[in-house]
Amino acid sequence: MAIAVAGSVVTAVAHPPMSYWRAVGWRLRRDPITLAAGGLLALIVLAAVLAPILAPHDPNAGSIRLRLAALGTADHWLGTDEQGRDMLSRLLHGGRMTLLAGLTPVLVAFVVGTVLGVAAGFVGGLPNHLIMRTMDIFYAFPAVLLAIAISGSLGPGLWNTLISLSVVFIPRVVRVAESVTVQVKSLEFISAARASGAGIGQIMRHHLLANVLGPILVFASTQVSLSIILAAGLSFLGLGVTPPAAEWGLMLNTLRGSIYVNAWVPALPGVAIFLTSMTFNLLSDGLRDAMEIRS
Amino acid sequence: MWVYAIRRLLLAVPTLIGASLIIFAMVHLAPGDPIAAVMPADATQAEIEATKKAYGFDKPLPVQYLYWLGRVAHGDLGRSIATRRPVIEDVRDSLRHSLALAVSSSLVAFGLGIGLGLLAAFRQGRVLDKLASAIAVVGVSVPHYWAGIILIIIFSVQLNWLPAMGAGSEGGLAEYLRHLTLPTVALSLIPLGVITRVVRSAALDILAQEFVLALSAKGLWHRTVFFHVVKNAAPQILTVLGLQFGFQLGGSVLVEAVFSWPGTGYLLNLAIFQRDIPVLQGVILVLAAFFVLLNLTVDILQSLVDPRIARH
Amino acid sequence: MKRLIAVSALAVLALVFATSAFAQGHLRIGMTASDIPYTGGQTDNGFEGFRFVGYQIYEPLINWDLTRGDRLPPLVPGLAESWEVRKDNPARWVFKLRKNVKFHDGSPFNADAVIFSFESIKKRDAPHFDSYGSAQVSFRLTALKGISKLDDHTVEIDTGAPTSFVPYQIVYMVIVSPAQWNKVKDWRKFAEQPSGTGPFKVTRFVPRERLELEPNRQYWNGKRMPKVDKLTLFPMPEPTTRLAALRSGQVDWIEVPPPDSIPQLKGAGFQVVTNSYPHNWTHTLRLDKEPWNNKLVRKAANYAIDRVGICKSLLNDMCIPATGVAYKGHPWFGKPKEVYEYNPNKARDLLKQAGYGPGKPVPKAVHLISTSGSGQMLPLAMNELIQKNLKEVGLEVDLQPVEWNTLLTRWRAGFQAPDNQGLNAWNISWNFLEPWSGFGRFFHSKSVVPVSVNTMPYLNPEVDKLLDEAEKTFDIAKQDAILARIHEIIVDDAPWIFVAHDLNPRGLSPKVRGFVQPQSWFVDLTAATVR
Repeated sequence: MAIAVAGSVVTAVAHPPMSYWRAVGWRLRRDPITLAAGGLLALIVLAAVLAPILAPHDPNAGSIRLRLAALGTADHWLGTDEQGRDMLSRLLHGGRMTLLAGLTPVLVAFVVGTVLGVAAGFVGGLPNHLIMRTMDIFYAFPAVLLAIAISGSLGPGLWNTLISLSVVFIPRVVRVAESVTVQVKSLEFISAARASGAGIGQIMRHHLLANVLGPILVFASTQVSLSIILAAGLSFLGLGVTPPAAEWGLMLNTLRGSIYVNAWVPALPGVAIFLTSMTFNLLSDGLRDAMEIRS
Repeated sequence: MWVYAIRRLLLAVPTLIGASLIIFAMVHLAPGDPIAAVMPADATQAEIEATKKAYGFDKPLPVQYLYWLGRVAHGDLGRSIATRRPVIEDVRDSLRHSLALAVSSSLVAFGLGIGLGLLAAFRQGRVLDKLASAIAVVGVSVPHYWAGIILIIIFSVQLNWLPAMGAGSEGGLAEYLRHLTLPTVALSLIPLGVITRVVRSAALDILAQEFVLALSAKGLWHRTVFFHVVKNAAPQILTVLGLQFGFQLGGSVLVEAVFSWPGTGYLLNLAIFQRDIPVLQGVILVLAAFFVLLNLTVDILQSLVDPRIARH
Repeated sequence: MKRLIAVSALAVLALVFATSAFAQGHLRIGMTASDIPYTGGQTDNGFEGFRFVGYQIYEPLINWDLTRGDRLPPLVPGLAESWEVRKDNPARWVFKLRKNVKFHDGSPFNADAVIFSFESIKKRDAPHFDSYGSAQVSFRLTALKGISKLDDHTVEIDTGAPTSFVPYQIVYMVIVSPAQWNKVKDWRKFAEQPSGTGPFKVTRFVPRERLELEPNRQYWNGKRMPKVDKLTLFPMPEPTTRLAALRSGQVDWIEVPPPDSIPQLKGAGFQVVTNSYPHNWTHTLRLDKEPWNNKLVRKAANYAIDRVGICKSLLNDMCIPATGVAYKGHPWFGKPKEVYEYNPNKARDLLKQAGYGPGKPVPKAVHLISTSGSGQMLPLAMNELIQKNLKEVGLEVDLQPVEWNTLLTRWRAGFQAPDNQGLNAWNISWNFLEPWSGFGRFFHSKSVVPVSVNTMPYLNPEVDKLLDEAEKTFDIAKQDAILARIHEIIVDDAPWIFVAHDLNPRGLSPKVRGFVQPQSWFVDLTAATVR
């Protein structure tokens, strides 16, 4: 075993990314919960992407005479909303909006945050100070408050929601990226690699990125569920997506008044948000375990 | 330690000023003429100019910012355009309610969270761990505004045990607490999940350290190990507790909206739809200041518990 | 730490099951307003402000008689015992004021108080000018040009030109206590300790949360002495919140329960009271810009709306379709040529006639709506449906929701205000209590902003002439006939999208007795009791 370990350490120096990520993938495949969550997420994403095909009705077409039909109604298995629109179709289409509004800001934050954070961590000195103190200012606001404040100023709409949530998540990613970069920079095997003559580019690619991207990715994945809840929450307050668009948070808002007529149909969008959020959390947990990242 | 504390305190000042800049910029980004609310429809141009002057809206933006900042330093947050009351009064009144909600929700989340987290760590891999972890994941994933609605349906409408809205400030403490119950439960779900997970993870880290294993092999399970774990996990846990308290204070908007809880979130929500600029600026600034102070306190406490941090 | 939590949890559980008892005869009302209406006299939040604050704490010289529900309320003496137009000068009205009336602060009601109140609205340079209060009400008082004191209990109002509308406008000007104002010299402080002559007086004011009132034991009208011990008003803009509050017993009376919940409310023993009243829910269109500057397009919009669907299916029969300003059966309805009904094909034809079609779409319109408010019914749900109806015939409308009081403020500033340049309509519910509110303030060219609220602006010399004639006609039957003629023209011109007449549903706990719902926007709370 020791030889194999030694062997893999030696191989690690020469080709660190491949066997590391392979190991991660191997561990992911062995975790039943992560697999289940991954499967569920794939289903949710697939359902959202294929919504136009899967949805039995036009999500915006409804007859008010059919409003608030209960679960299990013929032709409307998940009931209808307060305007008589089919819930199943709206949930499918709503998934697109919610996923878009939830994932995009985190993606943007991941890219922009990694670039800023790694740069700050690697370069150090004054640029680091400038960047990090600026991020500190944004950190002065709890996420929900910042999102609402920005959305409240910009006004409702999908674009404004994306902008405001991106602004919320970028500082968080920057912080993690910078902190991890600083840690890794000082690790021994970096100096060893340097001593062995590897160039800056090689170091960046093989060591820094492999050891830095992992934790950032894990962190970003933990933020997705919050982003989804926030995006839906903004629509819930009337600051996100506007009617008549189908979006889970907005649906929660407009269906709220109907909880006294039929408690189940209004609960459905909340269940959808909850399930999606939970799959992302379980996945990010699995990812973290597989990468053996400590928080 | 004092050096660290003073350094952190000094750092908080430019952070707050930066935050105030962002707040001012954000709020004035919004389109709309704020003083339309106080002017009669047949106001002459002269009268409009005079009112603009009274509110300070006639000056260029940077100057307005400096004036506002100057007044804030004196504790004057301006006057609400919608109600003409001093903003500081509205903020003070609503902050009381938000604090009550944040404190009670924190008590629940911290108490249960730490308890569940430790339980899960000490019973790792067993049923209790899986149960606690499941509760945690559910807590973190649930949209708390939706949870609030469900709670209202069950406990207010169906069972009629608890009130659905407001703060019940007309009754005594008992009435207030009754009104506080459902919002507290709704708001505590996410922090409960987060804290459980962090505590479990931190405790597991420490339990995995070699000499702890050695200790337990010697038969010194529980008490000594327990305190050791708690002491070493404390810095990490403190950070999370601080962050989560901040989340509950500054992020209670959604829960307050569902329950019409008259806190700062409710005030903020109303001010957004009324385009009441002084109130918006004032509320966000106060909440941000609270959050900064909170982080500051947590950092200093942390350095007390773990002196290594001060050296960073 | 854990023990503390356990004890607290137990304490909370114990308190959770403790019931709180309220004093007998305490009426608690959940309003649709998002904050407590301005208590400084000339109140805000539209007619809900008058309903619960303006007319409870204060009184005008002339009152509505709200004690019966079987007829439209007539005007009766309030703080004025009698009034008449002078025979020698029909532009002057003499009001004889009631004697031995005291304000809540104990000071006497007299002519000085009336003049003080008038000046607080109209006299810009007076130290007691209330710029906020004036903004709320001055557009309703356009006929009242000046006032003078004849003696301690007589005032004379100057209207410039003769007009029969005076009593209808006087009813909106409430009388505030000069003595109280002089103690504080500031309207905001006055609003915290208000003093009027009304049946209720304020005991406690918690901003954004509640207004507590008790009966005014010195009230001059013994027949209208409040029967309850205490009255508390709560702002509750969210319909679901109001409903939850009523069902859980937190309040005894809510305005506008969600229509979906009405069958359940009735089943659970609650009272749901309705009555017709002069109410009109419309989209008031901007007539100087595309797309609504074209009469054919406006008519098309009116044919595109499924009013029956809205009233029956969305609102559970809590409204009736509106095809004009007044409803059929009202003396002002007349015989309009256009009878608007749900006819999308006709709508599309009209648009084709106007020159629009697939190649030339109608320009998009932006409509300002509110999130709640008195008379606004269920604005978000109704507007979403209207948006859909209009889209089906090719009319694209963007909805912009704002808070109710904000909507009123922007409306009073008119479409030409810089803030409102991009708007094409407002969705505000109107009253047609009397000729001025129903027609004069909207359709006369002299009512253009800033004088009053002809915001569209609607400029029709024929209607101007008829309105002038109506104003000079003191005979009610003749006046009604002229107004009916005006109504026919208005319906044909379609300056509004007519949608519905509300039936004013209220949810009351079974403990509330004695309340009679009048055919009015306002209510008399003095006869109500809470067992």
